[in-house]
This record gives sequence, C-alpha cells and structure tokens, in this order.
Amino acid sequence: MRQRAAIIGVGQTPYRSHQNFTIPELSQQAALQALEMAGMTMDDIDAIVYSMGPSQFLGVNDPDKWCVDSIGGRHKPFMRIHTGGATGASAAQAGFCHVASGLFNTVLVVGADKVRECKDSQQVLNTIWDPFYERRFGLTTITMAAFQAVRHMHLYGTTEEQMALVAVRSWGNALGNPLAHLKGKISVDDVLKSPYFCWPIKKYDTCPSSAGGAAVVIASEEIARKSGRRPAWIKGCSEFANTVFLGDQMGGRAQMDFADSDILAMAAAEAYRQAGIREPAREIRVAEMYAPFTICELSMVEALGFCGKGESGRLNEKGFFNREGRVAVNPSGGTLCTNAIAIAALARICDGALQIMGLAPEGMQVENVRNVVCTGEGGSFQFHAVTILGADH
Amino acid sequence: MAERVAILGAGMTKLDDRKGGQKLDDMVFEATRAALLDSGITQKEIDSVVLVGCDEFDGRSISSMLVAAAGGSYLNDEIKVTDDGIYGVILAAMRILSGLYDLSVIVSWCKPSEAPVSNVMNMRWDPFYHRPFGLNHISTAALMAGAYLDRYKGSDAAAAAVAVKNRANGARNQNAHLQKSVTIDDVRSSAPVSWPLRALDCAPESDGACALVLASAKKTREIKQKPVWLEGFGWAVDSYYLGERDLADSPSLRVAAGMAYRQAGIENPIREIDMAEICDFTSYYELIACEALGLCGAGGAAHLLQEGTTRREGAFPVNPSGGLLSSNPFVAAGLFRAVEVYLQVSGRAGRHQVPGVRRALAQGSTGFCAQGNAVLILSAEG
Repeated sequence: MRQRAAIIGVGQTPYRSHQNFTIPELSQQAALQALEMAGMTMDDIDAIVYSMGPSQFLGVNDPDKWCVDSIGGRHKPFMRIHTGGATGASAAQAGFCHVASGLFNTVLVVGADKVRECKDSQQVLNTIWDPFYERRFGLTTITMAAFQAVRHMHLYGTTEEQMALVAVRSWGNALGNPLAHLKGKISVDDVLKSPYFCWPIKKYDTCPSSAGGAAVVIASEEIARKSGRRPAWIKGCSEFANTVFLGDQMGGRAQMDFADSDILAMAAAEAYRQAGIREPAREIRVAEMYAPFTICELSMVEALGFCGKGESGRLNEKGFFNREGRVAVNPSGGTLCTNAIAIAALARICDGALQIMGLAPEGMQVENVRNVVCTGEGGSFQFHAVTILGADH
Repeated sequence: MAERVAILGAGMTKLDDRKGGQKLDDMVFEATRAALLDSGITQKEIDSVVLVGCDEFDGRSISSMLVAAAGGSYLNDEIKVTDDGIYGVILAAMRILSGLYDLSVIVSWCKPSEAPVSNVMNMRWDPFYHRPFGLNHISTAALMAGAYLDRYKGSDAAAAAVAVKNRANGARNQNAHLQKSVTIDDVRSSAPVSWPLRALDCAPESDGACALVLASAKKTREIKQKPVWLEGFGWAVDSYYLGERDLADSPSLRVAAGMAYRQAGIENPIREIDMAEICDFTSYYELIACEALGLCGAGGAAHLLQEGTTRREGAFPVNPSGGLLSSNPFVAAGLFRAVEVYLQVSGRAGRHQVPGVRRALAQGSTGFCAQGNAVLILSAEG
C-alpha cells in the first residue's frame, strides 16, 4: 500500500420515507454531516466516489450525475460504483484505493437511495434475473432467500424459531439507533405469526424498503492523524463473485452449497489476511452485516468464521451474537431494520466506523471495540464484499 | 507516478449494428477471452476484475450479475463502474497502485441495438426540469454543437471535415461498424437531425465489447510480455445542469487532461504525444475535445483540420480507427479508445496503424455533453 487510509467522517440521514427530498438533497445531507465530523468543507475533498445501485427504484437513470453539484463534485474526479446490494462496500473499497494508491489524500464516498418511494421494489428486483431463464419463475430476492433458508434447514436442522430470534435481536438493537427505519420490542411469537411471504420467509424475516443517504470521508494517514479524533483505519477489503444462476451455485460441478455463503468466506479470508486477523471470533468485537433476511445472517456469521457451518442457529439462541455477547452482530439493527439498497452496505461501514471511533449513539455503542467487520452482498447472493475496520492499523 | 502500471493485452469483438446471435455474456466472454489470450495469462491468474456497463441499456437492474462470470469473476474478484469504460482502467490502475491487486481485467460492453436508446437517455434527466423537454443524447449534443458554432462562426465546415476524416479512417478499420467513406457533400446533404447536426455529424449505434489486461510492474516483469505503460490518467466531472456549463468548451476534459499530463510529465501535448483516440460522439465534439486537450488554442481546432494535422497521415492523427463516427458502442466507447491506442503503441493496429507511435492518448466521456471526462496516456517506454 502506498499510504494508509482511514475513515475520519461519517454521515447518515434518518432512514424512512423521504417524500420531500430528492437524491441530490439526501446525498448532500449525508455528505455535509460526514464533512462536519471530519472537520472539513467540500473544498477539502480531492475526489468523489458515488455509491449508486440499481436506478430503477428511483426512475432516474444514472442519478449520480444529477448529484454532482449538490455534493461539490464540479471539476473533481468523480466515478460511480454499482455492484447491486454490495454497492456501498464496493464504493468504499474504490474510495480506499483512491487514497491507498497515493493519488489522493481525501475522498468522499457518498450515495443515497429512495427504495421506499418505489411502488414495488420486488417487481424491480425481479428484473435482476435473466429474462430468458429465471425471470419468468417470479424469482425475487424474497423467493431467493427462501431457497437459502430451506437449504440451511435441510442441511443443518435450522428452525424458523432460530431465524425469528435474529429478527427479535435486530429490532431490539435498532431501538438504540435513532436513524434505524424499523425498531421495537418484538417476540419470537410475533415473528412466527407474521404472514408468510414465501415459506419459510415471513414478514419479520424480511428487510424493509428504506430511503436515506450515507457518506464517509476517507483520508490519508497524515490527514487522519491531524483530525483530532480516533480514525477508523481500513485494514482490509476484498470482494468476490459467483455465477448468477442459482442452479449453478450448487449441485453438479459447483464447488459450493447455496445454504452457505461460501463467496463471503472467500472474501473474508482475503480481508482477514490483509488485516492480520487469525481468529475472527476473538479478534473482532462487532460485525455490521448486510443481511437483508434473517437466514442470511445465520449463514453469513458462519462464513465469517465466527462459528462452524450449521452452528449459528444454536449459538444465536445462547446470546453469542447479542450486543454483550462474543461478537456483537448488527448493534445498529442492521439491514434487517434498514435497507436503502444503494447505500445499505455503506451504512454498515458508517455504523462500523462509529463503533471504532467511539461515536456510536449510547444505546448502540459496544465497549472496547478494536476491530469491526462490515459486509455487503449483491445480486443472486452472488457478490460479497468484506471490509475490516480497526482502531490500529 | 513512481510505481507504474502496464497493459499486457487487449481483446475486442467486431463492432456491429446488431449482434443478434450473441447475448451480453457471450460478447463479454469473447472480449475477455481474447484479452487473456493476448496477454498470455489465464483466468485463474487474474486477481481483479473491473466491469463497466449500464443497466438501463442492458434491460436488467444489475446487469453485472449476468456478465461477471463471463468477464473472469467466477469465484474471483469483481467490481463494477457505471460510467464510460475508460473509467474501468482508472479504477483498475488505482487498485493495482494501492497494492491490493496485481493483475486486472477491465471489460466493458454495450448492445444499443436492443435498447430504446433515446428513452434510456431521456430518463437520465431529472424528472422535474430537464426531462419534460424531451432532451436526449442527440438534442443535448446539438446544443453543444450550436454553442460552438455560435462562438466560432463557420466551424460547420471543420465539423464536416471531421466526419469525412473519421469515416475515411473507419473504412480502413476492419473492426469498425461503418466502413464506408463519405464526402463533404454527403455530410452537408445528409438529413437534418437536430440543428446544427446532420445525420453524418452524429455517431451511429453499435454493439460491441472490449477488454484490457492491466498489471503491476512486478507482475509485468514476471510475465515478460512486452507491455505498454500507463504513464498517466486523469478524470473529472462537470455540472449536471447544462445552463451552468460552457457548452462551447469542455472544462472537465481540461481538468482531466491536466491531471494526466502532470503524471506523465507532459507540457506540450501536441509535440510530446504522437496521436489520440477520442470520443467524437458528434463531429463538433472532436473539435471541442482537441481544444480542451490543449492540442490547440480555443477556436483553433478548425485550423488543425485545414492543415491536415489530425488526419491519419498528419503530424498528430486523431481517431485513426474511425472513432465514434464510425462505431459507437456508447458505454464501451472509451474503453475501445484505450484498446485502439494500446494496439497503436504496440504496433498492432493493422491497416489503420499509424507509423512510429511511441506515446498516445485515449479519452472517454460520460453523461450529457460529456459531463464527465477521462484521459489516459499510454507509452511504449519502459
């Protein structure tokens, strides 16, 4: 690496419906907050990476170009990253490379989404699939998650109750996050009695459609040290891909099983290598994960090496992933409570960085955080990105 | 740049009006495979894949899902930029310079034959102020051409000369979409499209995909392929709102070129660079780009044309491949420019090879009236 890089500013809008704000406005709100935390103005930024996933939720193609003026991009290097749900993590990685390459000292990574204002997000998400083979089956992200759930249940005996506990914990955690979209004290029974969207996925197993903006300022070591705050060092980042076709992701000559987030495991192995992490469950205190369905979280904590395959449901019952547990998973409430797709993975990095910086809201802050892992997931559970943030580099 | 990045190889499909028999992933696979073979490496060796595409052209809301594996991402790295293809080279170069990666594929594709291009473009405008005017890529390019013509009276003759030059170049390029020369009379009598643009002032719509392989200096030494070096790159964006921009100029291209020239140590581009491939989405934009790249002063591009400087046999050929006026794969257009320049510097451009190219420039643009611009400087010197 030519120079080290750290997050020194974080900004997020509240996540909910934002009928009265456009994408340029939401981007600006997030950017200004991140700049304020970094002690900077727009003029201090060398380059911008715009985090924008599928534009079909908005109905404006290439909306990043619309946002240039509101976030101070005019006559600056500016590019848009889009890897579906993993977009925010990929954009942060691109921002990291802007600085680590030695070309820039300050980069703003920013984006916004308005999935909440889309009439039917699942109708849009059907169009991620291939029009010839998979689209006509009515595949959506919900039916895709159902495939993963039944496979995990079949292989490991995971139960609907164990999945429900993930929702109960996430909604409870979100009570400590003033920006979270959904939150509250719910019971396993509430989850089990909620309507089935696609067996075994129920309403509470599913993320909401949210709107909001998110931003981080990534700076070189020299600038990070001058910021007067504890920076969140970017210690590792990696992303891997699988084939689009669900049928080719398991069986036959596939090297993996759809129950397991094996691509995430590959990305994590590389990011851990960069960060020098050998025992994730001992060295990582917080995981902010892009898990839009309860089953995703159970599969992903296994892939991140916090426990063996098939063990997550049982450990979750024992409180292993609670805020006071071994690894605090999604103390923010995570993607299950807030999903503004284009920036959902960037929000994970925002919330992870706040944990390192010690600036998370009181009800969300975890004690003694040295390392945080943040994830992003996109496409047909096909793209996985991992970012490791640390208090030391 | 202290540490350097090299280009090891390239691949591209033929540019066509309609690739009826190939799906997007077939096109991406063809280009990627060709680039890997050209570089003498396999998919397993690459550790970075940068895709550049546009969902709305592809009729999919995350089109990289389909093409990722075809681009070399199966159980491998993947990231996607959604600007012009040339931005992929910039991201891949930064990834390599950051030390995270050593060997990267960059692949870009576009299939406008199956897209409602004008609607895709109109939907890029904000729904409140611009979209209701019905603006698209042609009508906005016409505003730009009109602004230039208004400032530099009589420049329509130079624009027509650009069309004649580039179509003559395209006629020598077996990969080009349009391979038929045109005359000044053909241009001036072609159908009016949107004043002052006539049909032959505008780029066609072409299907195609292309790929490059980038490597760290360390990897380049191991592979021992004779590389072309990426000496400099720059990019910048301008305001979204056309009313806030100087449409007779391309300020973001001036910034982008300045950054690339600084990295490459270039002070006098027309003397120190041998040729350029630029995104002439209209004949007028080639004039504007030549000025913004500093090849001449403001309003001086017509003179370059009169002198023959930018012809294939001239002192500084621009678009010897025929440029976008001969083949325009929209999103992939800038990466095709980079591929063409790579082939020119490595002396493998075929019938449209310019003799003795040691250092060359590739330019790509994104957004309306080239809102965003990117510039690469490639060099044979190791």
